[in-house]
Amino acid sequence: MFNKLKEQLGLGSKDKEILILSPIKGEACSLEEVKDPVFSEKIMGEGLAIKPLAGRVVAPVDGTIGLIIGTKHAVSIVSEQGTEILIHVGLDTVKLNGEFYHAFVNTGDKVKAGDLLLEFDMEQIKASGYDVITPVVICNTSEYSVITPVIGVMVEELDRVVAIKK
Amino acid sequence: MKEIKYVIKDELGIHARPAGLLVKEARRFQSEIILKKDNTSVDAKSILRIMGLGAKKGDEITMTFHGADEAEASTSIKAFLAANL
Repeated sequence: MFNKLKEQLGLGSKDKEILILSPIKGEACSLEEVKDPVFSEKIMGEGLAIKPLAGRVVAPVDGTIGLIIGTKHAVSIVSEQGTEILIHVGLDTVKLNGEFYHAFVNTGDKVKAGDLLLEFDMEQIKASGYDVITPVVICNTSEYSVITPVIGVMVEELDRVVAIKK
Repeated sequence: MKEIKYVIKDELGIHARPAGLLVKEARRFQSEIILKKDNTSVDAKSILRIMGLGAKKGDEITMTFHGADEAEASTSIKAFLAANL
């Protein structure tokens, strides 16, 4: 009964907004701007893309590292509420095979929002001919009714960039 | 139940893009679709689980299909694998 009351008041976990913080300092833009259809067509999920201004990726939520790819250009975090977030640094950067990337965490590590996950050498990646735009997507998008990204603004690390509702 | 086996030919293995495309294909079907590599089985409709397998060139994967549209799903995914991986 108490739970029912909480739900009616919008306090139940079902209605609670989940916030994803910016993992990177840069310009928040729409996924449609990403020149890779798996992201721009939202096949990987809803979210946003960040044009980085600094070569650091920090944890966008408290959670667990789901996966750090062997080539260190992408990392996923599962938040404490079960939101699956993928941060993919640059497009087609799987081909760099880890060069210009450095990982500070391993699969299964517990992290707090703001913990350093990756560093990358933006200038070298660009000089090698790659776009450094970084999609930040919610891979389990289908589990949520509303995913609202912040678009068209400059963001600092840990600024709010996505609000999610069950 | 339908089952297919496939050896990955793509130099880069199952990275983000092919994982996304595979999931898009798998989600078209109602059947439960499982992707197995070595002793790890994952839901073929979850991008992160698939990427987590870290399947590389030369690895053999097994996909199983259970459900009303399993025949169609296995035919379609078989063609997808041949064309993309």
